[in-house]
Amino acid sequence: MSQHILITYATRRPYRQVPIIPNGAYYDHAKGYWLKDNEPLVLSTGGPVTKKCDHETGEDQKGE
Amino acid sequence: MKPHVLILSGLYDFSTDLVALQLDRAGVSYVRLNREQLSDYRLTLDPLAPRLTIDGPNGTCVVGAGLRAVWFRQPVFLRNTPPVSLSPNEQLERSQWTAFLRGLCVFRDAAWMNYPPATYLAESKPYQLSIAASCGFRVPETLATNSASRIRDSFPETLVIKSLDTVLLREGDDCLFTYTTVNPGTTLRDDSVAAAPLLAQRVLNQKTDVRVTVVGNRLFAVRILSAGVGIAGDWRVIPKSDLEYQDTELDSDTADLCVRLTRQLGLTFAAIDLLETPEGIFFIEVNPTGEWGWLSGTDRPIDEAIATWLVNPPNHMS
Repeated sequence: MSQHILITYATRRPYRQVPIIPNGAYYDHAKGYWLKDNEPLVLSTGGPVTKKCDHETGEDQKGE
Repeated sequence: MKPHVLILSGLYDFSTDLVALQLDRAGVSYVRLNREQLSDYRLTLDPLAPRLTIDGPNGTCVVGAGLRAVWFRQPVFLRNTPPVSLSPNEQLERSQWTAFLRGLCVFRDAAWMNYPPATYLAESKPYQLSIAASCGFRVPETLATNSASRIRDSFPETLVIKSLDTVLLREGDDCLFTYTTVNPGTTLRDDSVAAAPLLAQRVLNQKTDVRVTVVGNRLFAVRILSAGVGIAGDWRVIPKSDLEYQDTELDSDTADLCVRLTRQLGLTFAAIDLLETPEGIFFIEVNPTGEWGWLSGTDRPIDEAIATWLVNPPNHMS
């Protein structure tokens, strides 16, 4: 049997278990968000706010 | 600490950071649990109280009395295709923590964004297409099938092919993701379809994608363009630098339909994909915990809207 069309059409990229986190950034358990240099990481220039186009794992946080 | 808001999320879900930051700045009492860190805490759920006691590095937090809202960003356990082979311990952790998180549905007096059973049902594309049509949306002709001949009969020229659920697969050191594609129906062979069902849908030409983010009764709608015009095919394959997000005001009928659909699905948050076409506006899909961080900003304060809803959910009695 040939490959399923949904696999034929799939795009491929290197698997990464976790996203690249900037040096010095850490998760603050009490605040519930990431910090870098005592500032919220998401407010930093080029911060890692979820970007559909940068790392597509499907909607709804289904990607693992 | 007795938080007003419980957030169930993932460690690398940075959209959650945006809302936590809003809550922090507003002085709201909240706690965030991430799926990757559940074993780092000692969690105790009393389902009868109901009460969740969280013993962690910052002391003890008791979720129960005073809880107003739960923000649920955790449908990941719906998927049963782990990208790597899991050890027995890892399998046990996943299955049992998943059940634990489901058990948090005992907080029935809290407002949920979104309540898990509603999320799971709304994740079904055939179901959401059916409900959208019953609400009054135009919906493109669609089949869920593993029959190439049925597809060719219904869509003899070209058709849209998409997965029934997100296709995110692991092969060696790579992962595979399948976008929506336009395909000539005549080339479909049974042996390339039979092994698993897919969604086959009528092609809508000259379309412009519209993403509508629904937060309670608030709507944020953007048209997704490239070089000022709509994008043929799946816009997600276009380089980010070539994309434009244009705020748009929906006509009142479409806005009402979006709110009605969200309520009909039992949701309080929804990310709805529509297409503007010369035939009118079509419903394509709804994502119960869809992404929005890529759209949020000072001009489009989705994070603030979610935080506001969590702090003051409608119809909350306490």
